[in-house]
Order: sequence, then structure tokens, then C-alpha cells
Amino acid sequence: MTGLIILGTFMGLIIVSFAAITQKKLADSIILFMGVGLGSVVLFFIFKAPDVALTEAVISAGISSLIFLMALKHLGEQK
Amino acid sequence: MSVKKVSLKRELPTTTLSGFALSGLLVLTILNILLQNMPSKIQTAGNALLKLNATEGVANAVTTVVVFFRGFDTLGEIAVLFIASLGIGLMLHSNSKCNIKAESNFMLQTASRLLFPIIMLFGTYVMIYGHLSPGGGFQGGVIIASGVLLLLISHKTFEVPHSVIVALETFAGVSYVLIGLIGLLVLDTFLGNFLPHDIAQMGMLLSGGIIPIIYIIVGIKVGSEMSMIVQNLIQRSRDV
Amino acid sequence: MFEFLNQPEVIKTIVIVGSMLLLFIGLFGLLTRKHIIKIFISIAIMESSIFLLFIGLTFKIDSIAPILDSAHTNVATMNDPIPHAMILTAIVIGMAVLALGVSFAIEYFKLTGKTDINEMNEMRH
Repeated sequence: MTGLIILGTFMGLIIVSFAAITQKKLADSIILFMGVGLGSVVLFFIFKAPDVALTEAVISAGISSLIFLMALKHLGEQK
Repeated sequence: MSVKKVSLKRELPTTTLSGFALSGLLVLTILNILLQNMPSKIQTAGNALLKLNATEGVANAVTTVVVFFRGFDTLGEIAVLFIASLGIGLMLHSNSKCNIKAESNFMLQTASRLLFPIIMLFGTYVMIYGHLSPGGGFQGGVIIASGVLLLLISHKTFEVPHSVIVALETFAGVSYVLIGLIGLLVLDTFLGNFLPHDIAQMGMLLSGGIIPIIYIIVGIKVGSEMSMIVQNLIQRSRDV
Repeated sequence: MFEFLNQPEVIKTIVIVGSMLLLFIGLFGLLTRKHIIKIFISIAIMESSIFLLFIGLTFKIDSIAPILDSAHTNVATMNDPIPHAMILTAIVIGMAVLALGVSFAIEYFKLTGKTDINEMNEMRH
């Protein structure tokens, strides 16, 4: 059962990350990158590493998203 | 004289990309075969460290490794954080007043005032109980910075005073090195554990010697630096 | 059929192949994208893949988290705490350096107005 969950999460991560770098608009790229952070947190939880999962959840959802969204605001919506 | 536009990067042809993919698959198979047949001697370093962790009287093994066994690396990493925050402050600092005309949404204002003390309390709890349950200084500091971020985006004239952040950061950085030097004087090792740490106290709040004290200091420093980074990023966008 | 996936060799294979594929997707994005923020996103995806590789290689099936307790005192079934400590600091440092890079990009845009890396050729003349 554990192996199946790990396989499914990895496949989801690969699909989401490939979609994140082949989008036309910048806003879609940033939102799909936040999905990579979410899948990473799920995987750290399955690997029984609670400290790393907590750190990655807070940083990916709070600070890393803010950095890219502020870049989007200053740079404007271009290709 | 006309200047010719030179493009720096040529387009990648498809043969290069397919050769790249094939070599990537080759690296995958070789790495797989090498890493599967690791000798089992490598796995016993973690077991030895877990047994050694019980002599410090701290319940969370990851906290002991970060603060005590590899405490000097944590000091270097805090220095890297300080340099990054300094660079961001140099580039993006602005003292202009807020020029935004519209207030933010009423629901956002009320909810952020409700959530801010809860987030601060949770961040302080995660920071102080770092040696008993998953958590610690890094996690608690970033949680506190996200609470400050919530207030910054919902109220258009809120800002943390610059002198407060500077005072907290200086105090935390200096006291880390001072505690290390006191350990050098008492025990002949930099960052030695000079407060009492019995095994019988494992699981209590006051256990583990200087380990919770150092982690709280790291939490204060990381929290104040992240707050400064966040404030610099947001304040630049306020002078529209 | 799903018992086949729970053997330690198969899990290690899945972890290595998955994280290396993530690394190569990030590398592909780094080499072929032109917008500078997309290049930073690709670098962040590459960093995430390496963190997953480190933690996934020391994972045994019936292991518990490395926290000693009055109920859990058998250290033979606990995870290795050393990679956890190293990845913890690596995540924080990676994010701080990414913030510095993005602030450089913002300042450059405010100065010249270019985001395409093929047009950033002031040092060429």
C-alpha cells in the first residue's frame, strides 16, 4: 500500500512540474509550482520525516509563493 | 555607427535534446544499480547517533543533530541568511509613504485581526517545544514571519518599526556566539553543553541543557530576518 | 499485486527514478525557457527533487520518526536523523538565495524593462 501511494504521488509531481514550465502565462506557472511544493510535503510525510515536512510546508506555502507573486506584480503579465 | 543586435543563446536542436534525454536515462540506470547495493555499514551511523542522543536528555533527535552535534554548521547557515537579507534590504528598501487609495476588503481586515494572535501563539509554541516534538527554531520563526505577512497585506499602513527588528536580530546573533564562548571557557569545546542535562528529565520542558536556549535564539533571529525580507518585498509595491 | 510494490528494492527504484526525472525536467526548463522568472522556477524544482532523493533513500517500510519517547525506545526501527537535519537547513538557505535572485531580477526590470534573457546584452559591447 505504501509503495502504491509513493508511486502515485511521484507520477503526479512529474506531471505537475512538467506543466509548470511549459505554460504560456506566468501566473499559471507560479500556481503549478505551488502544487509541486504540496506534493513534496505529502511525500515527506509518507517518508516519516515530520521536521522536514513542517519546514517545507511553511516555507513553500508562505515565503516562496510570496516571492514569486511579488515578482509577478512588479514585472507585469508578459509571456 | 549602428549596433547589431546579437542574440546570446542559440536555439537548441532536437537531436541535442534527445541525446540529452538518452544520457539522462543512462545516468538513471547506473545510479540505481550503484545506490541499491550500498553496504550496510553506512546505515549504522544514524543508529550510533541515536544512542548518543539519549545521553543529552533531549527527546527530538533531529534537534540534537542540528543544534549540538552540528552546531557550528547552524552558525554558518545563520550567517548566510543574514547576508541574503542584507542584499535584499539593499536592493528593495524604500521609505516612501503609502499611495494606495482603496482599503482592502472588509472580510480580510476582520479575519486577519482575528487570526494574527493565534498564528503568533502557534509560532511561539512550535519554537519553544522544539526539543520535545517536531518543530524548532526554523519552523517557528517562519510561522511568525507569515503572521506578520498577513497583517502587512490586509492593512495598508502597517509596518514593523525598523529599530525593533534590528535590535532583535543583533541580540540573537551576539548571544549565540557568547553562549558558544562560555562553553569554550567552561568545557574546552566551542558550544559545549555546560548546563545540567540528566537523562531522567527527558520529555520535560527544562531538559537538555543549552539546546532549547540556542534553538529559541535561532528562532528569534530567523523570525526577525524573514519579517524584514517580507516587509521589504511588500513595501516596494505600495508606492504605486 | 500491490505486495510487489512494498519491497525495499522496488521503493528505492521508484524514488531514484522519480527524483532524477524531476531533476531532468527542471534542467530542461532551465535550458529552454526565456523568461527569467521561469528560469528561477526551474531552479527551485531542481532543488526540491534533490531533497526528495536524500530523504527517500533512507526510508525503510516499518520505521517510525526519530523522536524518543517513553513508549518508543527501540532505536533500531527509527529513521536516520542526520539527513533530516541537513535537508532542514538546505531548504531555508535555498529559499533565501532564491529571494535574493528574484530581487535582482525586479531591480533590473525597473531599470531597463527587459525580461527576455536574449535581450540582456549590455555587457556584450
